[in-house]
Amino acid sequence: MKLTEVINVKDLTLTYADGTKAVQGISFSVNEGEFFGFLGPNGAGKSTTIKVLTTLLHKTAGEASVAGLDIEKDAREIRKVIGVQSQETSLDPELTGRENMILEGHLQQMRGKELEDRVDSLLSVVGLKDAADKRAGRYSGGMKKRLDLATVLVHKPKIMFLDEPTTGLDPQSRAGVWDYLEELNKKEGITIFLTTQYLEEADRLCQRLCIVDGGKIVAQGTPAELKAEIGADAITITMKDLQGKSDDSVRTKARQIIQKLQNVSDIVDSGDGLTIYARDGGYFIPDLVRAFDKTDIKLVSINLSTPTLDDVFLRHTGKRIRVEELQKQVPSMFARGRR
Amino acid sequence: MREDGGREYLTLLFDTQNLFVRALKKLVRNPILIFFSLFQPIIFLVLFTQLFHSFNLLPGFPPGISYLQFAAAGILLQNAFSSALQAGTSIVEDLNYGFLQKMLVTQVQRPAILLGRLSSDAFRVIVQSIIILALAYVLGFSVATGLPGMIVMLFIIAFFGLAWSGISLALGMRTRSSETVFAIGGFLTFPLLFMSTALVPVSFMPKWMQYVSDVNPISYAVNAVRALSLGVSYDPNLTRTVVEAIGVIALIAVITMSATLYLFRKVVS
Repeated sequence: MKLTEVINVKDLTLTYADGTKAVQGISFSVNEGEFFGFLGPNGAGKSTTIKVLTTLLHKTAGEASVAGLDIEKDAREIRKVIGVQSQETSLDPELTGRENMILEGHLQQMRGKELEDRVDSLLSVVGLKDAADKRAGRYSGGMKKRLDLATVLVHKPKIMFLDEPTTGLDPQSRAGVWDYLEELNKKEGITIFLTTQYLEEADRLCQRLCIVDGGKIVAQGTPAELKAEIGADAITITMKDLQGKSDDSVRTKARQIIQKLQNVSDIVDSGDGLTIYARDGGYFIPDLVRAFDKTDIKLVSINLSTPTLDDVFLRHTGKRIRVEELQKQVPSMFARGRR
Repeated sequence: MREDGGREYLTLLFDTQNLFVRALKKLVRNPILIFFSLFQPIIFLVLFTQLFHSFNLLPGFPPGISYLQFAAAGILLQNAFSSALQAGTSIVEDLNYGFLQKMLVTQVQRPAILLGRLSSDAFRVIVQSIIILALAYVLGFSVATGLPGMIVMLFIIAFFGLAWSGISLALGMRTRSSETVFAIGGFLTFPLLFMSTALVPVSFMPKWMQYVSDVNPISYAVNAVRALSLGVSYDPNLTRTVVEAIGVIALIAVITMSATLYLFRKVVS
């Protein structure tokens, strides 16, 4: 399969007027049809990167192209082929769901029957057909997100930029959005660039991802590659001898048995058992069980955990991603009064 | 696209029209807003003119006309002025709700975002003025120059409103706060209104206020609208008064629109 790069970024830098170095020389590329992610905590430069790539902010230095077009010179052409969902849901609360979509279509130079049909089909895809003629301001949070996503799709973009599309959603709505995004990517072949601070989201959706922190890319690869870098799975066991004792002597004996096995990189005491670090934990467990088969020690429990992207993040930055619930901006008094 | 100028122009019109319609829909769905804007001029028209109906007995008041007939022009422009000064709240909303950003990642022609806004503001002022005129007519107001004069009146009122919506839009973009826009609007309206010929003839004012009134743009617009309603018997230099007013408004418009464009470019660049 031939791969075409649809996003190409080289040494991209963005420094805000106040001197904040939001993006500091990042390089990456996204292939056509790929589901690509930026994973990082708040303030890592994810939104800024999206704003530069979607022609909303001027870069400070470096090169970037989207759909083969230069982000500075061909901004207008780029806007024809991209769809952008920003972090905060941006709908006109006083227009109905349908009107929001029609307006978006008009601004993308669509009109007539083609636009109406497109809007109708999208409304049913996102499950808003019944609510289409209610004002968007009266939608629930999940409905607003879905409508927002639908408006972004009206003009059939080839590349979608999604800035934290599930932040603030309940787990059920989040899973719904995930399913839909996967379908878009697989069935319609839309390239998706997504930012997230949720590990499980990046892990589930992204074929490739960059881990970003402090305006820099600290690691990139497929989720499996990144996790493989950690090198080992953790297997935690507890055990007893035939007399039902589980003291230090049992532990020492168990250590001796485990040490003889292949692929073990480390053994540490943990609680009332042992944690073994070993490559390919899934394959290692049968060996482990067999090794204890002929001894007078019984394994009481075995717990296998594969490394998570959080372990990857921890390894590269020395800290864990902490997800803080975003404080919803309270609209001003007058703004709220107008509905 | 540059070689295709005509098409470019058409899309600008199309975009402007769509954003104009959007603004009107929002307005119609917030009738309370129109009610609040109209409340004050209507109180002035119905109560204020009655309270001061004996003003026309005072020396220096133009002879032979009622106070209502005199003050209507001032009330119309007060309405245009205070409505225009609210215009900026809409752009604050679009900025803060992320809607402006959403528009900016589409192909929309940038100027259409401002033009759609301004044209709907002008439309709103015209509709409100027609309502006030109709009510004034019921109360005994008349326009000596007939329908053509009334059209020129509406043009002056709408143009005056437009010139000031620029200020409000610029403020909105700069402060991103509806409250500030409202506060500054309220802060400006009454001092400028009272120090103009909107509600009393210039001869009623103390000397220092007459100087202020002479350079107050509201006075120019009011004098023109009043002259149109009373005809040449009241103002023999009717045409000059009207042309002068349009000139002054144009000057304000150039200044406020430059500020608006400058700030708008900063936001959209």
